[in-house]
Amino acid sequence: MQKPPEPTNPPAGLRIGVDIGGTFTDFVVFDPVSGSLTTFKLLSTPRDPAEAVLQGLKRISDQLSATSHQSSVISNQTSIITDHCSLLTDHYSLTHGSTVATNALLERKGARTALVTTQGFGDVLQIGRQNRPALYDFTAAPPPPLVPEALRLEVTERVASDGSILTPLDPASLDKLIAALDEIKPESVAVCLLFSFANPSHEQAITARLRAGGYLVSVSSEILPEYREYERTSTTVVNAYVSPVLDRYLAKLESALTPLSLIPYPLIGKGDKGIGEKPASGISLRIMQSNGGVIRVDEARRQGVRCILSGPAGGVAGAHFVGKIAPPSVPPFSPAQARRSELQIEGRKWGEDRGVRLITFDMGGTSTDVSLIDGQPQVTTEAIVGGCPIRVPVLDIHTIGAGGGSIASVDAGGALRVGPESAGADPGPACYARPGSAIFPTVTDANVVLGRLPADHFLGGQMALDAARARLAFDRLGAALGMDAESAALGVIEVVNAHMERALRVISVERGHDPQGGKGQTPFTLLSFGGAGGLHASDLARRMGVSQVLIPPLASTLSAFGMLAADIIRDYTHTVMLRGDIPPAEIAAALEPLAEQGMTDIQAEGFPPKKIHIERLLDMRYRGQSYELTIPFGAAFADDFHTAHHRVYGYARPEADTEIVNIRVRAVGRVTPPPLVALPFGSDDPSPALLDSRMVRFPSGQVRVPLYRGESLSPGNHLTGPAIVVRSDTTILINPGDQAVVDAYRNLLITVGG
Amino acid sequence: MAADPIRLEVFKHLFAAVAEEMGVVLRKASYSPNIKERRDFSCALFDPAGNMIAQAAHIPVHLGAMPMSVQAAIKKFQTRQTANNFGSQEMHPKTDQLGLFPGDVIVLNDPFLGGTHLPDITMVSPVFTPDPLSPIPSSSREEGIGDRVLIGFVASRAHHADVGGMTPGSMPVAREIFQEGLIIPPVKLFEQGKLNQAVFDLILSNVRTPQERAGDLWAQIAANQRGETRLQELAARYGLSEISAYMGELLSYTERMTRRLLASLPSGAFSFTDYLDDDGMGSGPAVITVTVAFSGDEATVDFTGSAPQQTGSVNAVYAITLSAVYYVFRCLIGLDIPNNSGCLVPIRVIAPEGTIVNAHKPAAVAGGNVETSQRIVDVLLGALAQACPERVPAASQGTMNNLTIGGRNERRDAPFAYYETVGGGMGALPEAGGPSAIHSHMTNTLNTPVEALEYAYPLRILRYAVRRGSGGKGLHHGGDGIRRDIQALVPCQATLLTERRRFQPYGLASGQPGQCGENALIREGIETTLPGKGTVDLQAGDILSIRTPGGGGWGKV
Repeated sequence: MQKPPEPTNPPAGLRIGVDIGGTFTDFVVFDPVSGSLTTFKLLSTPRDPAEAVLQGLKRISDQLSATSHQSSVISNQTSIITDHCSLLTDHYSLTHGSTVATNALLERKGARTALVTTQGFGDVLQIGRQNRPALYDFTAAPPPPLVPEALRLEVTERVASDGSILTPLDPASLDKLIAALDEIKPESVAVCLLFSFANPSHEQAITARLRAGGYLVSVSSEILPEYREYERTSTTVVNAYVSPVLDRYLAKLESALTPLSLIPYPLIGKGDKGIGEKPASGISLRIMQSNGGVIRVDEARRQGVRCILSGPAGGVAGAHFVGKIAPPSVPPFSPAQARRSELQIEGRKWGEDRGVRLITFDMGGTSTDVSLIDGQPQVTTEAIVGGCPIRVPVLDIHTIGAGGGSIASVDAGGALRVGPESAGADPGPACYARPGSAIFPTVTDANVVLGRLPADHFLGGQMALDAARARLAFDRLGAALGMDAESAALGVIEVVNAHMERALRVISVERGHDPQGGKGQTPFTLLSFGGAGGLHASDLARRMGVSQVLIPPLASTLSAFGMLAADIIRDYTHTVMLRGDIPPAEIAAALEPLAEQGMTDIQAEGFPPKKIHIERLLDMRYRGQSYELTIPFGAAFADDFHTAHHRVYGYARPEADTEIVNIRVRAVGRVTPPPLVALPFGSDDPSPALLDSRMVRFPSGQVRVPLYRGESLSPGNHLTGPAIVVRSDTTILINPGDQAVVDAYRNLLITVGG
Repeated sequence: MAADPIRLEVFKHLFAAVAEEMGVVLRKASYSPNIKERRDFSCALFDPAGNMIAQAAHIPVHLGAMPMSVQAAIKKFQTRQTANNFGSQEMHPKTDQLGLFPGDVIVLNDPFLGGTHLPDITMVSPVFTPDPLSPIPSSSREEGIGDRVLIGFVASRAHHADVGGMTPGSMPVAREIFQEGLIIPPVKLFEQGKLNQAVFDLILSNVRTPQERAGDLWAQIAANQRGETRLQELAARYGLSEISAYMGELLSYTERMTRRLLASLPSGAFSFTDYLDDDGMGSGPAVITVTVAFSGDEATVDFTGSAPQQTGSVNAVYAITLSAVYYVFRCLIGLDIPNNSGCLVPIRVIAPEGTIVNAHKPAAVAGGNVETSQRIVDVLLGALAQACPERVPAASQGTMNNLTIGGRNERRDAPFAYYETVGGGMGALPEAGGPSAIHSHMTNTLNTPVEALEYAYPLRILRYAVRRGSGGKGLHHGGDGIRRDIQALVPCQATLLTERRRFQPYGLASGQPGQCGENALIREGIETTLPGKGTVDLQAGDILSIRTPGGGGWGKV
């Protein structure tokens, strides 16, 4: 077993990751003393999401205080929580992914928000970019703005593009604003003035008045000091709109946590100031941000916009962590090689970045999230959620509305469509056989009809699927297509895989990344998690020219796990509009205040300076362009820009002038991730896990395929495709021609055949 | 072979993804705010005959027009690969120019040879099966083309902010096309992978902002190269015969969907007439009239009776009229189907030559693309509202409110050319009001952010607001227009090409019309009304105020 890491941060004590997803709330509990890792799921409580969280914490607490320690939780990882009552008096940490902010935005149930703008520009939020959401649809209207006209207020002031003041802030106009707000009584106020990134003094003056008056203010020069007024306004308004909702939720969670027997001491203040000051007691509550890092809860309460894509970001963080510890891809793969690479890994320090290259694929029931990790998860500032641009850095996760529940149909032109309609959880796929529900042929049903998804082993046998009903649905679809049910099912698989492939290409080739690695580069590995992905991953890898698929044992709780592994990350940005040929020392000087701020903020999270990593980045373009590429700031940043431009767009103009539009700093507090235990390798022979065999229909014909129980496979086991692995959380198809091994961390590594 | 319903769907995605990826490259690699910020461009994929197979959902006015660019390129440079599609051999002045080869890129903007108006520069690349030995064909053309077979074409079209001519921004109120800017007939910008520097230099010598043009042209080249690579990858993966077969199947598919729509509409002929305000040269109004006749699963769209071509720049070339017809029927089909040439197969379009909807050289055409196209949509919808009133909105603003400002940027010691179109009110629907402050029908370009504009140009925006009350009243109100006030910080020249300043956007089912737009000059606090079309010299401090039309209302108040 691996030696526990030195207790840096968070301090020793239970570390709990919680992800409120859709149907279930997932828990991952890590005990650094014993090294045990436990996962379980509880049904979510949508009306009050905190309830499921508290139930879960109660359960953990009960486990701890019990004298008998047989784990009764629905645990995928069979670790047993050992007796650590001493932990009760210790600090523990809870990292939390929350859909509260997301749902507030998507369901338009945020705070009643007012918006303060420059005179003449109160409608910027409504006009947006003046484009309509769909080209060929007369009825497509943009969503109404988050702040209605009556709550948009203008002040007399104006700053020019160079930051000089054209019109000083008019005191009378400010008084009028305050009076109007006192009348309106908004829950939250957003302030976004033109060119405030170049000179924030007017925004600061207004904000000071408003905060003194007790208003909760989101101000654009704090949230996103970048140019483009609509996107900055939208980002600031989203923050104002969701933060109070997130704040209420977190306040409720905090106050509910206090009386729990798990907590011996009350919380230290609001939020968790002072944590990291060695053995502080109490709870360290942190929130997963959209950028893949976590944030202190008191920060989250003020910066809700940074937590909008909290859940999916946890998945990517988890995938990144799993990818870092998995053996490097050396196809063709053999168990012997797996052992050798294992030896190399043991000598490596945790958290060390070895240039892991992954394409993550999270296929669920109604939607699928894909992203790319090239050393680091890729970040974008072009997210749009619920029709609102959000320009703070978020993980570049591309979502499509296709999943296991997508419904297949034949359209009037004779094409087989899959989605966008989904059977969701209710009525669900035909094979769910919900009483009285309509029968729709879905992707999941296609997998049942083909024998790829054994009906008697779904969710570890906890839920029997109705294969006859799936067959009925596909008999009908086949009749409409003029083919048999199996051919129709194969067709549905091919079409949905085409959807998935398109999504995977968007985040890889379209962004200039070659999935096969490119010359002399490590090829990408497809990392599949989510309930429905295991049946499609090998097919997709083949379509993308990717030779290796990695399926972690925590496939369905990877997001919660990622929250434990994620670093503390704070992003800072500023529009500067500098010439690209100014002396690097000047650029460095411009970056310094952001870097210092980052250092201060992460130290406040309890990290010693040596555990803090500061990344300096530049958004660059050729002078005259209007789109920027983000380049690390270093001695060769100019050359790096030309190289990156060539990689992404196919050409570079080294003779042309360049421009630095924004400077960025990313401050990272390196968290020591849970040290997963490398298990010893056993026999190649997987037969102890063999359950049964089934006839499965492939495009090439019908084949008898062995069925293995995933939980019974042990490190070193070697599987030759075709094979099916059933687990309590997912089912995995290993295609004919594929080889697979179970690695020391129980990851299943599939090497895709030619 | 019979179309496999599965492959049909798969290829739909594959081809659309190629066009979309080209668009991403073009947008991000381009220089000018007009392409990156406003997204005034389109990318598409074609079969070897020049039929459009897939267009990314970019700009509707490019829809019907893009295939004509590709066909013009084919016609000029036909090879034995394409000879069967275009019978006659033409005279070619130089053998270098004869034939289409791997690595060629054809550039053009001539509205009478495959273009629409001069600022829209199109690049067409023939795509051949990859050379198994080397990525660049050998210098011997006869060998180079060897067993490489034409798969199809990719093309990109972008609106360039200046292509020379009498006013900065190249959207002048002109009398003939020679005043509107540089005319580029189909010529090879790249010959077998090698840049034709002479053509490149010639283009740049004729424009006001050569640096920016060069960057945008390179972005288009990059987009075409990406499209070429992707189409070659598809051919390598699925085989040429499969690719060719499904290009054809997807055309038939869209045609079937169109026929299905047409069959669902009532038989009979429906007519509608509307007017352009004027041509900017003192004549007008100009009538546009259409009769749409449905018979079985086919339709005839007849513009006979429309005004002869005008002196001013409001003339539309045939490609634009086709685009407008395509757009309207594409919207009525409604479903997510490939945007391809199959849509127009069952629709016969009659546009008499020499009229405002099918102008001949040397007519001035800058406004045909942006203004007349909108009115063509208005008359089509007016006719269709009689056939299927439950599916058609009242008139939208019916203009793109084109504004170009050019002069010298003293701060940067360089010339500048700024082009913008301004949204307005959308027409109300039978079931809902029309959205406000938004682009409708033939365009969907974005605005230039105030903070990008003021950084790049010696201009200042003083007000950018919804023009409240400008939408037509009705059971459902039309959307409101926009007011955008722009101050000149240096002396410069502004050109307006705007419509619906005299004839209001119509309401439907007793809904009231939307308000007309207004253009005003505010100099030293005194406001004067400007005509809908024309050029005005601005002094430092002058304010140009553009107030755009509202949409028509639907139903009785």
